[in-house]
Amino acid sequence: MKWLLLAFKNVGRNRRRALITIVITAVGTAAILIGGGFALYTYQSLRESAARDTGHLVLAHKDYFDREEDTPMALGLPDYQALKKELERDERVRVALPRLQFSGLISNGDKSSVFIGTGVDARGEFQVKGPFLKILDGQVLVPPEGPGAPLEVMLGAQLAKQLNATPGTVLTLLSTTTQGSLNALDVTVRGIFSLGVPEIDKRAVYVTIETAQKLLLTDRASELAIYLDGTESTDPVRDEILAKHPDRAVRTWEDQAYYYVAVRALYNRIFGLLGAIMVVIVLFAVSNTMAMAVVERTREIGTLRALGTLPAQITRVFAMEGWVIGSAGALLGVLVAVGVAGLSLVAGFEMPPPPGRSVGYPLNINIDGSLYTVAVVTVVIASTIAAWLMSRQAVRKSIVEALTHV
Amino acid sequence: MSPPSRLKGEYRRAEHEGEPGTSPPSRLKGEYRRAEHEGAASGAPTMRTAAVTISGVSKAYVMGGNPVPALRDVNLVIDAGDFVALTGPSGSGKSTLLNLCGLLDRADSGKITLDSVDVSGLDSEQLTVLRRERLGFVFQNFNLVPVMSVFENVEFPLFLQGMPEAERKDRVNRTLARVGLDAFAKRRPDELSGGQRQRVAIARALVKSARVVIADEPTANLDSVNAAQVVDLMRALARDEGTTCIIATHDPRVSDHCDRVVRLVDGVLQ
Repeated sequence: MKWLLLAFKNVGRNRRRALITIVITAVGTAAILIGGGFALYTYQSLRESAARDTGHLVLAHKDYFDREEDTPMALGLPDYQALKKELERDERVRVALPRLQFSGLISNGDKSSVFIGTGVDARGEFQVKGPFLKILDGQVLVPPEGPGAPLEVMLGAQLAKQLNATPGTVLTLLSTTTQGSLNALDVTVRGIFSLGVPEIDKRAVYVTIETAQKLLLTDRASELAIYLDGTESTDPVRDEILAKHPDRAVRTWEDQAYYYVAVRALYNRIFGLLGAIMVVIVLFAVSNTMAMAVVERTREIGTLRALGTLPAQITRVFAMEGWVIGSAGALLGVLVAVGVAGLSLVAGFEMPPPPGRSVGYPLNINIDGSLYTVAVVTVVIASTIAAWLMSRQAVRKSIVEALTHV
Repeated sequence: MSPPSRLKGEYRRAEHEGEPGTSPPSRLKGEYRRAEHEGAASGAPTMRTAAVTISGVSKAYVMGGNPVPALRDVNLVIDAGDFVALTGPSGSGKSTLLNLCGLLDRADSGKITLDSVDVSGLDSEQLTVLRRERLGFVFQNFNLVPVMSVFENVEFPLFLQGMPEAERKDRVNRTLARVGLDAFAKRRPDELSGGQRQRVAIARALVKSARVVIADEPTANLDSVNAAQVVDLMRALARDEGTTCIIATHDPRVSDHCDRVVRLVDGVLQ
């Protein structure tokens, strides 16, 4: 306790210098926490977006993910209704939604374009997509009320622009059926949406699964998207499904979230490097401060050693001084980071659209316990080690030399 | 001569607790036990024993690649309780001899015995423990720790010895009262005059009942009134505690107060 008190007093000797070092340490810590918090928010958003887009799990025919179909829906799920019921009996499964993937031509009579369509269960699909599907005009699809109900379609924004389509416009969908013949359906535009990626918005079409089945002349679904109560249930539920249905293939959201995986790999490198640079800056700042302190206190160190202080006790005091500076800086950095995170929530800053996307996203900064603990511990340890390393030169000098130091 | 009872207690506690850095080297413990035993067998000492024995000690410094002798074959015995002045012109080897007596430096050759312990073969840590337990220092520039109060400066050597807080407090208060600085206990060194600072340094050297106090020009930075006060104080405290004082000085006012004056010229005792 006495040594720690001495360390505190020593830190206070040159207040301006100590304050500058603490501020540098705080800025470094805050930069790590803000950068890391932003990266974590981005991961969380992309994770949620990916999971909402594909579902936590996608169940399909055994070969569906590995090879192309010879004819449309050749690798479809004929028993998807029964599978859906069975899966939804599990408490961890919120909903299992059938989807039918298809493609073809869409025409307004004057102009045609290639589309990539998804037949969806209109009862649940648009609820799970939440804010990640932006409706620009019109409304989302509704389940057909009967056999004679109008067939409707939702268009990606860029595709709607190409076809001069607005809600109410009648278009024709042309696709290959499961028998290999061509089939066409007239559909009315119900809504226009954006998924935030122009390349997708140029081709994307949503119809109800009933409409898609009617176009392709099938009663199958391509896949079942399974939404769970939480991401942590993903692996256990997948393992159980595979154990029960070895003739099916199941992929997790992460297997299909190429964008998320790429962004995460990129951000890990960027923010990891940023964090390492910040730790090095803290290391240099504390080293510089302690080196000056060692020189200034050379005679005093000689005196302490003459009085019978062991070299290890002296280096320990310096290390404690580094610890005090590091802790104060880290604490201040935490306060700054929390303040900035709070401000980002209140102010609602927007980030510009990332490459390949058409919409920006909110600049939010997560406050994560693990990140804060690791950052604070790293900064404090770096600061303590820097001080300890510098103090070693102080005790290497002979006592006589130290006592005559001017 | 038997070591002071508190020191014996310290060593026993350190041995018992096995506290790193405070346990004395085994040779030192052996020396203490022998000294204890002899003291007990003979009762109160009737003969004066040597506090410091220097036999055939030489020391040279290397300057510009050439060895420059600082001490040449010095032989000196300083008895326990002596108040000795080391005098001589600048560069005569006073400080070198003082550093060797204070275990701050090592001789190139010869043997030094401090309080019955041959220090020649001790390693750095053993020398540190010996300084902590048996030596006190008074420096020309006072060398007080500026961030510590007067009380804390005087207390520090006792803290290093591992003395319990209550005992430390009592001992420091008594010592400060003896040097007339009890009212200044909470002050910082920079709030004191030069004379007061040197009195604090003396209190720090004597608070632990050091066997030997090494003082390097203790009056050099003081006016004549303060210098006289400091010498009188050192003399009185050393007499009361039975402490050996070795003082390097140019000041005749100091050497006039000493029991014995040892003069060095060109590293040789006169």
